[in-house]
Amino acid sequence: MSTTIAAQMAGADFLKLRKKRGTLIWALVLAWAPVVIFYAVTAIQHASNPGKYGPAGGTASFHDGVRLLGGLLFGPLVAILIGVEAGTNDASAGVFRDLVVTGRSRLALFASRIPAALALCWAIILSAYALVLVGTFVFAGNLSTPDGALILNGLGFLLLTTGVMCAVAVGFASLTTSKPAAIIALIAWQLIASPLIVSIESLGSPRKFVLSQALVHFSPVGLGDDGRHAATMAGGTALFVIVLWLVVFLGLGAWRTKTMDA
Amino acid sequence: MTNPVDTPVATPATELIIETNGLTKRFGARTALDGVDLRVPRGCAFGFLGPNGAGKTTMIRMLLGLTQATSGSMRLLGHPVPAERGAALSRVGAIVEEPRFHPYLTGRENLRIVAAVRGPEVRERIDPALARVGLSDRADQKVKSYSLGMRQRLGVARCLLSDPLLLILDEPTNGLDPGGIQEFREMIRAMVEHEGRTVFISSHLLDEVEKTCDAAAIVDRGKVVTQGAMAELAAGGEVRHELIIGVDDVDRALQVIGTSALVRDAHRSDEGLRVILADGPETAAQLNATLVGAGVAVMRLEPVRQSLEARFLEITARLDSTTDSAEVRA
Repeated sequence: MSTTIAAQMAGADFLKLRKKRGTLIWALVLAWAPVVIFYAVTAIQHASNPGKYGPAGGTASFHDGVRLLGGLLFGPLVAILIGVEAGTNDASAGVFRDLVVTGRSRLALFASRIPAALALCWAIILSAYALVLVGTFVFAGNLSTPDGALILNGLGFLLLTTGVMCAVAVGFASLTTSKPAAIIALIAWQLIASPLIVSIESLGSPRKFVLSQALVHFSPVGLGDDGRHAATMAGGTALFVIVLWLVVFLGLGAWRTKTMDA
Repeated sequence: MTNPVDTPVATPATELIIETNGLTKRFGARTALDGVDLRVPRGCAFGFLGPNGAGKTTMIRMLLGLTQATSGSMRLLGHPVPAERGAALSRVGAIVEEPRFHPYLTGRENLRIVAAVRGPEVRERIDPALARVGLSDRADQKVKSYSLGMRQRLGVARCLLSDPLLLILDEPTNGLDPGGIQEFREMIRAMVEHEGRTVFISSHLLDEVEKTCDAAAIVDRGKVVTQGAMAELAAGGEVRHELIIGVDDVDRALQVIGTSALVRDAHRSDEGLRVILADGPETAAQLNATLVGAGVAVMRLEPVRQSLEARFLEITARLDSTTDSAEVRA
């Protein structure tokens, strides 16, 4: 398959995603609303009582903004929504068979979902990150602001976290082919099961295989509960865990797409 | 790796556009298709006729690689399937069961998605395909606002994106009103007669297949019971030219006809006479002249149209009785 066709197919998948209004609106709300609310509330607090509340911007609020987006909550939720939509879109609309009868390989049909989902997910996360930066600098007052390296690290962390979650969601959703089931399972895993497993210290090193723990390793800002229950690991281990999750879930999604009755 | 879909396809010069040998599909203990040998010639509208549950959709799904055959072999456009599935399907358009689309996208956007999958040159065919099915004016409206007939037409437009040598349509007139059915029939005939395409139509509607198709296969309980040109099928394997003749004197007419080499068989009927010609339908005029020359007044001379429906019912009734006797023996 030529790169032209691969790009066309990814473009077609992107079209399907960006035109899916419900998913798009929810993803935008989940990405923008927390940031806007955070800066609006802290700016109002500062304006009403400057002695008690510091300026809403600056480096500390930048950290908070990155925590909101990449701190394994809102950013990953956006990634899950978009990834699941990409993984189940054709099957749930009943058009998967019409794509299969073109003669194009099923693996190519699966593969084109990933860049499309990443493109939309990252576009939304970037727009939310831009809001964080605007809040950080506009409301900084006399506080210090993050330097270029920290801004780039924050950006890299957000792209890594949401990109990995999005790709895993594409694979898992392609495996289940059910949008509600995939969303419920992934959100439950991300919001309930993962923190619970990590908090059970007696589980020891197997906790390192929880994806969110591996992703936290690359955060430029402190996340979660200040590391009280974190399963610390070396950079190589964290990278291995991330790659393992990607390989397993993308592999399962590809296998299901290749073998299922269309 | 080069995908055969990406490269121009050299279609083997074969007279058969679909050919299956001993094609079998089992779902657990149930046999959906049982050793099907199907021969579909190029350049015709071919009906795949059978009652609901006979195995028609299963057959189509196997041809298109949507599900795997349990055993047997098949060739599509001369290419073995599934070995050369990509090459075969690059010039095939298909609607399986009902045409499905992303309802929140417009008709044109839905076609753009399939065009992207088929290849870069296909995008240019979107507008002509929409025009061909009469949807140019509604192409930029969301599919969820389309009627069933419009969706069927959009489905055909999607098929046309591949500039197909073969169109496979599964129950294409389901849910269409009489006007829509007539329109659809005319479109299929035009594709066959003016564009040289082959159209394979699966249907349980005898009348529809009879009116639209040049040839057909009758399938029942997973087996192809008979196949051939439409006239042959209706006549039970032989082409039979039968006439109803209304005369003033039936006895005299039978006497004249009895000595004529133009007639193979003749007998009295409610309408007057029923006559089977020895040769083609053109000899009816000679027979008329013979009768008139012998002083018999001919008031009516009408060819009998062999009914596919009668033949179909005859075959399925025979299968029913065979199955019943087998069950009794067992």
